[in-house]
Amino acid sequence: MAPEPNRSVKFRAALKREIPVLIQRGILTEEGASKITSLYEFDDIGKESSRLLAAVLFTLASLLIGGGVISFVAAHWNEISRGPKVALLFGTLLAFYIAGYWFKYRSGWPRLGHALIFCGCLIFGANIGLLAQIYQVSGSWYGLFGVWAVGVLLMSWAVRSWITGVLVIVTSLVWMVGFANDYHERLATVYPFLLAITLLPLAWVIRSRVLYTLTFLGLICALPALAIAQLSADGYMLIALAAGGFLSWAVGEFHRATGLREEFGTPLVNLGIAALASGAFLWSFKHMWHWLDLGDPNQFYWLIPAGCAVAAGVAAIARAWPKMDGSQRRFALGAIMVFVLVCLAMPSYRFNRVLPVIITNLAALVIAGVCIGRGILEERRLIFWAGSLYVATLVISRFFEYESSLLLKSVAFILCGIITMIAGIAYERFLHRREAVVQ
Amino acid sequence: MNRRTLFFLLAVAAQILILAAVPAQKIYTRATGKSVMLKIRPVDPYNILSGYYVTLNYEITDPSSFPGAKDVSGNLVYAIIEKGSDGVWHPVSLTNSFPANLPENRLAIRGRYNYWRTTYGIEEFFIPEDKRDEIEKGLRENRDQARAEIKVDSKGNAALVRLLIGDHVYDN
Repeated sequence: MAPEPNRSVKFRAALKREIPVLIQRGILTEEGASKITSLYEFDDIGKESSRLLAAVLFTLASLLIGGGVISFVAAHWNEISRGPKVALLFGTLLAFYIAGYWFKYRSGWPRLGHALIFCGCLIFGANIGLLAQIYQVSGSWYGLFGVWAVGVLLMSWAVRSWITGVLVIVTSLVWMVGFANDYHERLATVYPFLLAITLLPLAWVIRSRVLYTLTFLGLICALPALAIAQLSADGYMLIALAAGGFLSWAVGEFHRATGLREEFGTPLVNLGIAALASGAFLWSFKHMWHWLDLGDPNQFYWLIPAGCAVAAGVAAIARAWPKMDGSQRRFALGAIMVFVLVCLAMPSYRFNRVLPVIITNLAALVIAGVCIGRGILEERRLIFWAGSLYVATLVISRFFEYESSLLLKSVAFILCGIITMIAGIAYERFLHRREAVVQ
Repeated sequence: MNRRTLFFLLAVAAQILILAAVPAQKIYTRATGKSVMLKIRPVDPYNILSGYYVTLNYEITDPSSFPGAKDVSGNLVYAIIEKGSDGVWHPVSLTNSFPANLPENRLAIRGRYNYWRTTYGIEEFFIPEDKRDEIEKGLRENRDQARAEIKVDSKGNAALVRLLIGDHVYDN
């Protein structure tokens, strides 16, 4: 499959700014510039930003109007008899969908139509609850969210909408948590697969970075939630969280290396790093291991989706490996190393209470190293500072966590300071070397 | 009709069907079922109202109300109830299969059994916001006189119709 152009507005805007410089220096011809302009659709960049703003405004307006309509109806709800109530519920839903369809496909106001359809999906959820009230339908609280998610999923595919897809993630996650904790913990194992199968292709088809990334976030949340529900304990939550984080990071590296939907890569890598960093940081505290409850050892179904996530992550890295350059390979290995360290922390807990704390701290330091290294090599300030802040937080946390002598603390701080200084000097040297190469 | 219009219509139709399916069983049971009056058991006075609904406990909710309930296995159960001289229906037995040829004064209600509690889908009564205080007070003062009118269809499905607390009747 041939690599595709990066569709990110930020990237295209930066590239557009560079075109005159490249032409002026003789690097790019006018004909080449014209081809790039056509390929990256530079003329649409301004329009896309305006469209996004319009979509946000219309969605907000629809939410406010929908909320107003619901409040107005609620104010008179008790005075209305059952038949008109039901008619009102169905009528409101259809009115939003008809108006949404008209604006989206017929009148040239697609963003307004999209917003009205999204509002219709919210009304659909409210209607399920209200119909259950009118006819005294009792049942599990999470059932509403499950049914809501199914209806909204169909609509998100029908209108190719990322925002209704996000609503599916939220509602289905709520359903899964309730369902798994209501004696269905084994059956709930299918949830991560369903989420991936139903939403990732949609995000791919409509090229939605937000939906794609949030679907991975849904998977990252679902895996530890399943482990907790099945084990009735939080003992293996870290491994499940790390599996989701690793998957996201690895798939992100795949997109970046292969150029397939390249714009999906960076958000996924950042999400994966954030998930692993959160897990490693939380479990770097010794008290997390002292209170650890491993739960029922016979409940291992959560390992199926977690194992599949890891296998998919490894497959993504293996597939992208030939196309990765040196630094990308080091980052991919960093992802694997962090995941392995986090997984090693758990069995080490059975032998020693101190070892897992050391391992998770080490994993956290590797994550910080990857972030700082990536920030330097890719000249991305945000990730560089995120890594620096992370390591600083880690050091400060250990400072307050352990009651050691001030002398030891002073040695630790001086060492950290020296290491930071060495890193700064290395960074400066790197910049000088780069400048020399450019000149 | 183009494909996107067709898909949109199908999605809307599916949502309408889902909405219709939510109360369908209750509507059918209300229309075709036999009226039954059940005694409400005193509920935890500190947890009568959960949000906008009353949590109801019946005699038949407690499996120990049925002789031989320990022999029941599995999740799906049928509670056999009998009409008493006071007009209220009382528990007789709990079984795993739908009983055939019940006498006129007996009925079977389909429920879900989980060892300490059996639920029949009639445990929550949704109430309007302005009646919350009144119902809560009524339930506290008439803990032994509260009744629920339900309907039971030919398959044993139950639907909650109204709540009777003292002299008041609450019908949503």
